[in-house]
Amino acid sequence: MESFFSRYRNVLVLLAALLVQVIGLAVQVRKPAATVADTGPIHETKDGRGVRLIRLWVAGAVTPVERAIHGSGQGIDWLWNNYVDLRHTRDENRQLQQTIDRLRLEQASLIEDARQGQRLQALLKFQESYIYQTTAAQVIGSSGSTQSHVVWLDKGSADGLAPDMAVITGDGIVGKVRDVFQHTAQVLLINDQTSGAGVVLETTRIRGILRGNPSGQPQVINILMDSRIQPGEKVLTAGGDQVFPRGLPVGVVQQVLRDVDRGSFINVIVKPAVDLERLDEVLVVTSLEPHLSAAQLADVKTSEELKGAEVAAEAQRKKAAAEMGERLPGLKDPNAPEVAPKIDPDTGKPIEAYQLPTPKPLPAVHPDRFSPGGAAVTPPSEAGDAAPADDTPKTKIVPKTPAPKSQGTQSSKPNKPHGRGR
Amino acid sequence: MQTLIPDHRRDLEIRRYPSFIYVLVPLAALVLQAWLPRVLGRFAYLDLPLLVTIYFALNRRSAIHGTLLGAVLGMAQDGLTQGAIGVHGIANTVCGFLAASIGIRIVVENNIIRMVLNFLFTLLSSALILFIMTAVLGLEWQSNWLDELFRAVGNAGIGLVLFPLLDRTQARD
Repeated sequence: MESFFSRYRNVLVLLAALLVQVIGLAVQVRKPAATVADTGPIHETKDGRGVRLIRLWVAGAVTPVERAIHGSGQGIDWLWNNYVDLRHTRDENRQLQQTIDRLRLEQASLIEDARQGQRLQALLKFQESYIYQTTAAQVIGSSGSTQSHVVWLDKGSADGLAPDMAVITGDGIVGKVRDVFQHTAQVLLINDQTSGAGVVLETTRIRGILRGNPSGQPQVINILMDSRIQPGEKVLTAGGDQVFPRGLPVGVVQQVLRDVDRGSFINVIVKPAVDLERLDEVLVVTSLEPHLSAAQLADVKTSEELKGAEVAAEAQRKKAAAEMGERLPGLKDPNAPEVAPKIDPDTGKPIEAYQLPTPKPLPAVHPDRFSPGGAAVTPPSEAGDAAPADDTPKTKIVPKTPAPKSQGTQSSKPNKPHGRGR
Repeated sequence: MQTLIPDHRRDLEIRRYPSFIYVLVPLAALVLQAWLPRVLGRFAYLDLPLLVTIYFALNRRSAIHGTLLGAVLGMAQDGLTQGAIGVHGIANTVCGFLAASIGIRIVVENNIIRMVLNFLFTLLSSALILFIMTAVLGLEWQSNWLDELFRAVGNAGIGLVLFPLLDRTQARD
């Protein structure tokens, strides 16, 4: 027995190592529910305790070094270039060469600082104007595998990060937070094969799921063939996945390919709005509650005040118009006796609205031939007393006679007595 | 006598390294593997943990050592990804075991042999990962074999530089 173990020691160790890892793999994957049996086994989204422990150890061993490398990037550049410079120390023009190289380094450093400043300024501007609460973070590492598109951030749970938070830049979405440790976090990029984000095509409003393909390109899958989808169309987040806020840029349609397995479906290759290979600074959306900056709050307050003042001014104007309407004399005589409402003979209901009679001029006290209907009026001496005792004019209506030449345009209607206004 | 000859040869040609090398080199490989893709972008066709596994397995000529180092480095590599722990672990374990087994039988100081071995072991690792993802885990996983080929070529090239550098770290008796 002892000779068996000593003879096959190597193979036994190999089998033991493989067996342990296969068991570990079996624990990490789960069978899907019976209703979705056709989708096959899927990887657990949340890690188990042991797996999380391994990831924590690896992150604890690797990320501090990466953080140091990232933090001292300029120092490493300086050391590297000075090492290169030392190889030229035998040159007669060593001093000049070093000066030139130093100036170049400084210039490159300044340019890099300026670029970083511009990036940070743009990011800060976007962060200030963005309605949701975000936390800025630096990308300090990657998965190191071409099959796994994840990056590591220098912020973790101590900075308020949590799993399934959206990671964006001013240009568009980057991915979502997958695993969070105290001072680091792992972000699953949108071009990974295991990622998923709800998206919508801007013009055609066709919805789909965005995930990566084996070449590391994001693509929208499960879309029925549609000739309206053309390269160049913008792709936005749909907002239904509870991760990415709605309306964020994802990219533009780059290519439309037929799904080889399902003939009636197409895959829409998307050119991401963000350069996922060159990520430096990102924003993590830590809260989907609207977060307004002080300037935005001041704008909202000013807008509300202006709107309130406008409403108050309109009410004041209406009130003044009503008062003015009450004060102005109307066509209705307030001293006139109450008139019983007219009854419609057909319906038996009172007629509320009636047409006002055409106002006519009052009869002249001393009518002459120039007075309206003067040609037909007899002289006052013939008409008796010119001053009427009441409102009823005491003019005598005579039959129509041929008018003189100057009165040819005068009205020939008989002058009817009428009251004021009625 | 015949059974003693390989062991005797192995004992003569075993290379030993200071203890800290066994810690620092794998750690540096993991850090660089995570950091270099940020610099090289999508052209980071390399797998440094696998290279370190192959190097120590070839030179130590111990199958157990190669197996365990491959398992630890592979699982650490998995820890950096979002995938299940053990995918790279199994692949590196097998590669470490095979590299150590081959290292006993052939001369591994030749650069061309090292380059060919690195190329083949990288392809084998890619094939094992694809097998584990699709056949063992049953995931809908696709692989771009052109990228894997580039990765194998990249590893072969890097090995030409890395292995002589690591040779300098071996302990002198």
